[in-house]
Amino acid sequence: MLLVKIAWRSIWRSKRRTFITVSALSFALSLVVFFIAFAEGVYAGMINEAVRMQAGHVTIEHRDYHDAPATDLTVADAPALRIKLAALDGVASTKLLVLGQGVAKSGNGAEGVAIMGVEPSVEAKASPLENKITRGSYLDEGDTRVVVIGQTLAERLKLDLGKKLVLSTNNTKGELVEELVRVKGIFATGVVEIDGYVVQTPLGFAQELFQLGPHEVTRIGLVLADADREEEILRAARRIIAAPAVARPWEEVLPDLAAYVRFDGGSNYIIQGLLIFLSLFTIFNTILMSVLERSREFAMMLALGTDSLRIRAQVVLESAMIGVLGCGIGLLVGGIVALALQIHGFDLKSIYPEGIAVSGVSVGTRVYGQVTVKLLATLGGLVFAATLVTSLIAVRHISRIEPAAVLR
Amino acid sequence: MTAIVKLVGVVKEYGAAASLVRALRGVDLEIDKGAFAAIAGPSGSGKTTLLNIISGLDTPGAGHVFVEGQEVTGMSGRALSRLRLRRIGFVFQAYNLMPVLTAFENAEYVLLMQGVAKAERRRRVMNVLGQVGLSGMEQRFPRELSGGQQQRVAIARAIVSEPALILADEPTANVDSTTAAGLLDLMTELNEDKGVTFVFSSHDPNVLKRAKRLIAMKDGALEGSADAKRREA
Repeated sequence: MLLVKIAWRSIWRSKRRTFITVSALSFALSLVVFFIAFAEGVYAGMINEAVRMQAGHVTIEHRDYHDAPATDLTVADAPALRIKLAALDGVASTKLLVLGQGVAKSGNGAEGVAIMGVEPSVEAKASPLENKITRGSYLDEGDTRVVVIGQTLAERLKLDLGKKLVLSTNNTKGELVEELVRVKGIFATGVVEIDGYVVQTPLGFAQELFQLGPHEVTRIGLVLADADREEEILRAARRIIAAPAVARPWEEVLPDLAAYVRFDGGSNYIIQGLLIFLSLFTIFNTILMSVLERSREFAMMLALGTDSLRIRAQVVLESAMIGVLGCGIGLLVGGIVALALQIHGFDLKSIYPEGIAVSGVSVGTRVYGQVTVKLLATLGGLVFAATLVTSLIAVRHISRIEPAAVLR
Repeated sequence: MTAIVKLVGVVKEYGAAASLVRALRGVDLEIDKGAFAAIAGPSGSGKTTLLNIISGLDTPGAGHVFVEGQEVTGMSGRALSRLRLRRIGFVFQAYNLMPVLTAFENAEYVLLMQGVAKAERRRRVMNVLGQVGLSGMEQRFPRELSGGQQQRVAIARAIVSEPALILADEPTANVDSTTAAGLLDLMTELNEDKGVTFVFSSHDPNVLKRAKRLIAMKDGALEGSADAKRREA
């Protein structure tokens, strides 16, 4: 108790210094919380948009499809398998997809495209693409020989709503097939790779086009209610499926996006770490100054028979108190701001009027933060631990105090 | 009389070669229990070094030091800390109170370190602060006390654990003559009434004449030692 009393009163001996130190620590931590929550929110948004638009958080596909995507590498008996997968706890929706390569031709040219056969009603709920339709309308159940295309492709081929284009591809037998389709809708995601390349058409028509059976798809996508349960659901899906089908996490299906999140996230953590590292210098300076200024006091305590360990413990406790104050205020301020960002979001439309695209994935201009108790506890714990380690370096000076020399 | 402090051939040197300072040159000394002894001598004569070596704050280069018959030379740092905590009280020239603790808490500090129970601590601290004339000032911080009052708190801190020996290094150097006289009255009273052994250093003649035994030092060596009666004679 005496230790606590001395430590608490000691940190307020130099109120200004303590105030500056606590402020520096709390400011740095609140910035770190904000920026990490912001980045986590952006990554979560990107991943969410990408997996919903493509093949889900968990993808079921032929084991060789990943390395050599071809329409003859299919998942058999897809509707029955889908029912089993949809029953897994945590799966929000399932989507059947047929993906293949082809060429879109109009009277004004030809462009290589990705032909994506989708279930219109499922896709409309799972994928954000329906909301990106700028002209016309999205696909409906019962549609056939219609497509939705991106703004860029429409401009390149000078296509408009209701206009005809020819989809040309090789079917699973290797034969060249061509089908005439009409443009039902035009979307604009802001991502050239999507707007200039993706052509969506009803699943049944895509199966016909590629000469697949009605139960054959190239991918089954599982969209999860909680992305954090990906590992658990991946394991459960693997227990259901049989070879040659395999279950892959989105990180394997979308390696570019996963690499971007890893790299950008890593860079972000390094920058935030540097910010914390710099603020720790303030702590180190404060504790060291405090120790140096009080050499005489510590010498007196040693002379009275106080154990050197007890004095060091007192100084570490002082650092802990500063750490608790700084981390507490920092987490509170950073947490409140990040929570506000998570609830209300922040609209970047004035900065990015044409939308934001990162690594081939479109992100809405309204970005949301993502702050969790785990994030706050981890950051607070790390900074607090770093504060204590910093103080341990500073208190080494105490063991070098020679009472006889200092008190002389 | 039993010797509470005994030094045999104590040597202390600082520095090396050309800058060598011989602070103590083979000091032999015995101080009896219940003594009220002053170490006298000019600055640099070795008074403070002698006190530091008796307390174990400093170690001799050669010789042996005994406190209450126990040899302290060669003791570990922890054992010396324990000895100082349990058996030796200190009064410093510059008071050296803890600025963040009140007069009561400063006096209580050593008892807390010793693990004395709260009720007993309170009884002893209140009693000792009364003895040094600081009743009513228990909750004052050092900055709210005069120099003399601070030194009284320091004396209270030194005697509260009832140590066998109190070492005081120039205890009156930072106070005016009236306060110094008051502090010496207090120390004398504690020595005579409670039997507390005091060994203090000073070069102030007014302080030295109050000592019952005078130990004179010069250039790190004892010049002589005389009790009060011999000096008067």
